[in-house]
Amino acid sequence: MNLRFLKQQTGPLTKDLVQEPGQFGLGKVPSRLKPVSTTTSICGYCATGCQLKIHLDEKGEAINLSPQAHYPVNLGMACPKGWQALDPLTSAERGTTPLLRKVGGDPTETSWQDALDLFTKRLKSIKETHGHESVAFLSTGQIPFEEMAFLGCLFKFGMGFLHGDANTRQCMATAVTAYKQSFGFDAPPATYADFELSDVIVLVGANLCIAHPILWQRVMRNKRNPKIIVIDPRSTETAQAATQHIALKPKGDLALLYALAHCILRDERIDPVSIANTEGIESFTSFVADYSPAAVSEKTGLTEAEIESLARTVSDPSLKVSWWWTMGVNQSHEGVRTAQAIINLCLITGNIGKPGTGPNSITGQCNAMGSRLFSNTTSLVGGHEFYNSDHREKVARILEIPADHIPSESSLAYDQIFDAVETGKIKALWIVATNPFHSWIDSGKLSRLREKLDFLVVQDMYWNTETALAADLYLPAASWGEKSGCFINSERRIGTIKPVKKAPGQALSDFRIFRLIADSWGCGDMFKKWTTPEEAFKILRDLTQGRPCDITGIESYQMIDDRGGIQWPFVLGDTSFKPERRLFEDGFFYFENRKAKFLFSPPQELPEPPDVEFPFLLLTGRGTSSQWHTQSRTSKSTVLRKLYPADAYVEIHPSDAKRLGLKNHHPVCIRSRRGEMTAFVYIAPTVQMGQVFIPMHYAALNRLTHPSFDPHSRQPNYKAAAVKLVRIPS
Amino acid sequence: MNLELPPVPRTSKAQPVQRTLIDQLLDEQKKLQTPVARFSETHHHRKPDLSDHYRTLIPLTKPAQDEQYAFEVSLDRCTGCKACVSACHSLNGLDEDETWRDIGLIHDGDDRAGFQQTITTACHHCGDPACLDGCPVGAYEKEPETGIVRHLDDQCIGCSYCILKCPYDVPKYSKKRGIVRKCDMCHQRLAEGEAPACVQACPTEAIRIVKVPRIPITPLLPSLILGNPSITRPTTRYIGRSIPDRIRAADRDVLTPQHAHWPLILMLTFTQAGIGLLGVAALTSSPHSLALLLTATIIFFCGMAASVLHLGQPLKAWRFFLGLRTSWLSREILTFSMFAPIPCVLIALHLTPDFPFKREISQMTSYSVFPLGLLAVFTSVMIYVDTHRISWRFSLTSTRFFGTLATFAALGSSISDASPFSTGLLIFTVLLKMIPEARILRKADRSDADWSPDVHSAKIQRGPLAKILRARMILPFVALFFAALNPWATLMILLVSEISERQLFFQSVYSPKMPGNFGGTGSH
Repeated sequence: MNLRFLKQQTGPLTKDLVQEPGQFGLGKVPSRLKPVSTTTSICGYCATGCQLKIHLDEKGEAINLSPQAHYPVNLGMACPKGWQALDPLTSAERGTTPLLRKVGGDPTETSWQDALDLFTKRLKSIKETHGHESVAFLSTGQIPFEEMAFLGCLFKFGMGFLHGDANTRQCMATAVTAYKQSFGFDAPPATYADFELSDVIVLVGANLCIAHPILWQRVMRNKRNPKIIVIDPRSTETAQAATQHIALKPKGDLALLYALAHCILRDERIDPVSIANTEGIESFTSFVADYSPAAVSEKTGLTEAEIESLARTVSDPSLKVSWWWTMGVNQSHEGVRTAQAIINLCLITGNIGKPGTGPNSITGQCNAMGSRLFSNTTSLVGGHEFYNSDHREKVARILEIPADHIPSESSLAYDQIFDAVETGKIKALWIVATNPFHSWIDSGKLSRLREKLDFLVVQDMYWNTETALAADLYLPAASWGEKSGCFINSERRIGTIKPVKKAPGQALSDFRIFRLIADSWGCGDMFKKWTTPEEAFKILRDLTQGRPCDITGIESYQMIDDRGGIQWPFVLGDTSFKPERRLFEDGFFYFENRKAKFLFSPPQELPEPPDVEFPFLLLTGRGTSSQWHTQSRTSKSTVLRKLYPADAYVEIHPSDAKRLGLKNHHPVCIRSRRGEMTAFVYIAPTVQMGQVFIPMHYAALNRLTHPSFDPHSRQPNYKAAAVKLVRIPS
Repeated sequence: MNLELPPVPRTSKAQPVQRTLIDQLLDEQKKLQTPVARFSETHHHRKPDLSDHYRTLIPLTKPAQDEQYAFEVSLDRCTGCKACVSACHSLNGLDEDETWRDIGLIHDGDDRAGFQQTITTACHHCGDPACLDGCPVGAYEKEPETGIVRHLDDQCIGCSYCILKCPYDVPKYSKKRGIVRKCDMCHQRLAEGEAPACVQACPTEAIRIVKVPRIPITPLLPSLILGNPSITRPTTRYIGRSIPDRIRAADRDVLTPQHAHWPLILMLTFTQAGIGLLGVAALTSSPHSLALLLTATIIFFCGMAASVLHLGQPLKAWRFFLGLRTSWLSREILTFSMFAPIPCVLIALHLTPDFPFKREISQMTSYSVFPLGLLAVFTSVMIYVDTHRISWRFSLTSTRFFGTLATFAALGSSISDASPFSTGLLIFTVLLKMIPEARILRKADRSDADWSPDVHSAKIQRGPLAKILRARMILPFVALFFAALNPWATLMILLVSEISERQLFFQSVYSPKMPGNFGGTGSH
């Protein structure tokens, strides 16, 4: 019987899902979300730097987005964070007015005028009483570098303070220092095409599948049937997808890398041409003589044969070998030397300056690389040094400020700033777009330090991050998607972001907040040319002239967009532009003698090794690709929330779980010398015996981590703390 | 200062009318037009930018007559980035909390370390779709050309039976719309040679559309995870990495109670209680008969009313007959519609004066209560049995449903004619009904009991649902205690007890699904 006449094939509910051609190269889109125009923006989460195509309605407001197809970074793909990038903007938890907190009271709304008056009055009085070192800022790798530079220049040159650092200290300070010391400038050499051009891809402490899914896409596009070797104590998603997993002991990496150099130099599987571009090979050779595979076998947990075999693979002269590292190396008590041990291997085997090679750091945050050049914290803005008087004069000339406004010393590092708060030297903090009360190592200490601060200002898009809740004064910031500016990704590619949504209430872009503060402080004239991010960009561009990061060839934001992003350097008059460019193809480095340096020192013991009382080593890292850092943004997206476990969990080896009588999904208490937390047991096929892993996205975790730091980079050692597990009776 | 405006003094107090820099910047912050006009794309008409990328990921030609489209997932390419979920959400314009594609994790058992794998799933576009068979109003269709299982959103009455029927937890209820929606394999895109959203968006090309035989033979994933694929014949293929035998879903041990479906709890208990009481009221004559009859009728119709509340689109339910051939829900609606006039007639007969053949009519009506009532309850039983959920197997479901009917019949007889026999019968029925429930609960006595649907169900009842379980186990005894004092009180208490029994029935069911994430989603 034909009953089709009883079937309602169309109607209002059906119409909700009807699609039509979206134009703009989009293919079909839901009719009710068909864009009137589109624009592009670099994603505001990680340093991969994917470009997103934003779908706009007739008012120019974003209604949807999709990854940009032909952008040389992501080639039409994005991870869930990118796809859902608009969700966090519309959260009800956005700050809409400045908030003032009286002692012991709830925050009350206040006007921008009163907020600025208070800000200026309090900080000026603290400066007057305690001096120019008594206030510090803590900023971020999450805002455009025009804003970072404005903050750094305003704070140091305009307001006359000395100390400021950014959360990039937690993420890539180690890579910065390693490159600077080895090459003479902080210069990650790779371009992402190198993933596709390698025969051997070595990933050290890098879980690309989860942390940088779009870079794993580039690995998968490699048509050379590459060996993919993951060096990681944990059997990460990437380790499981790789062709080989070197499951070494935690912090056995430095010894392993020295042993590889030992074998390679011993067998003379070296590239003399490359070594000719270096200095110090003799002392390096004699140093690694002590690091035979047998000597490091205990420390690395690997057999001699495994080490020898790996050494042969990474020194095969017929193969292009690229090395990539992220936080497994950077967040270590000896990260700088570990990164430099990778650099050393590339230098001796000639795997540098050629397609498919390189000692390449993959950065964490969307604009960590922008921070490295322009934040004016450790280095003087524009790739300069505070201690260099020529640099100071050049910067003063271009910024049109008196040279004596530029300090000759760089600022305290993040941990030293907190130490100075503890000793009472620093009385006030201005925290911008970062959440240290969740993310800083041994975070329990921060609530104690809060008591010591006379004034805490927090500038953020949400009023209720762990840090914003502790503030005396909260300033509501516009977010990614509500402002313009530039990010620089891991391969030195500069890309632009656009305002595609109106900021809620009275929230202002950080750039505009800095303009207001400059005006309120009375140094508005010094920044009279900093009217828009693009104007500021032009000033910063001019600052880079003659530096390795010279971008004087960039005319405008439009040019950046037209070229599909532009990697630094891009010197004025350079006609040899290519979309993908790598460094050191000429074999010249940035020291005066143009030679790279071998840097090394003996591996140190773990700062807090497991013992009888705290028998487990706590590893930390990223949990899923749908979570970002302290979750202030990703937790605001319903879709992203569906894609990660709501509660903290701890990965534990089946044998350990059995021994302790722990069951899957049961809560367990994890305790360190500094604090404790509860997490659900995940008897996981990922960790080794004696180790546990907890993702960093859950606030309680950093109450456990051990505050030790790399002596060169001051980067915290997040991934090794001694803990014990205490069963919670059910 | 900005070139467009004259320099502005810092404090506006002296000249309150003048715009401050704050005003100016707040205005600027609200402007989108300029930059958008500057940066927006102007070239409109061109083929989709990703068409070259996905050309090899979708079939070049339509399926042959004995074929259909299917998802193929390459496990060695999928690394768990979950972009497919987001892309599906965004490119289909789904509601904020709606996702048609799901991600889960499978891993080795507890004893050894090793294997871990992300599993991405959407609708399996089954060869023999259970959703389609279960739908009372024919809101599902299997496209003849492509085999895509389509859901007709405007036909749907929002009864959610497809959700219970699907062993893979695919159809999703949209509260906002009062209907179910689900993956349609982006059939509009496929028709134009474009790839589905998930296929387009996978960075590692792990998902593709392939043509498979209409009656697929490849098992989906090891049956340890998914039960019996022969029930619906899912078409999705997982290739590229062999899966160890001892695999399990990462969320298997999560004890999240299922949706309670309150209208259904009330509908089932009230109609069954009502029919039990009615049957006795109709067949006995005592001073209490009319009171019993009225009470029974009220209870029964409360159940009927509750059933309507369960529907998201009750006004469209008149099409229920479209599903009679395959759907027990259609059959239930039919039998209950046939039963519903009986109590009304019985009351009418009570109240009307004598008329010719009244006795015969009255007798016929009275004798029809139990046969029709039992038939109606049987269709209710079959609705749940036909979901193939282990916890709802025939023996357990029929004991519960017919047990409620019998309990209230026994109670009815002790109300209308209190005797040691009727009280004994009541006690016997109430206790007998609890035995199978208690036997399931005992399966969780050992904390290390091997996982099974029954153990899972028992653990949920003794864990998160412990309070309700306590009520379920204590209330019958309280009710029986009152039986001698005031049988009407017993009736109220027993109703509450049966409601708690039914809540456990719904919330503790083990509902088969594709693997989820560790920790589960937290709620249903």
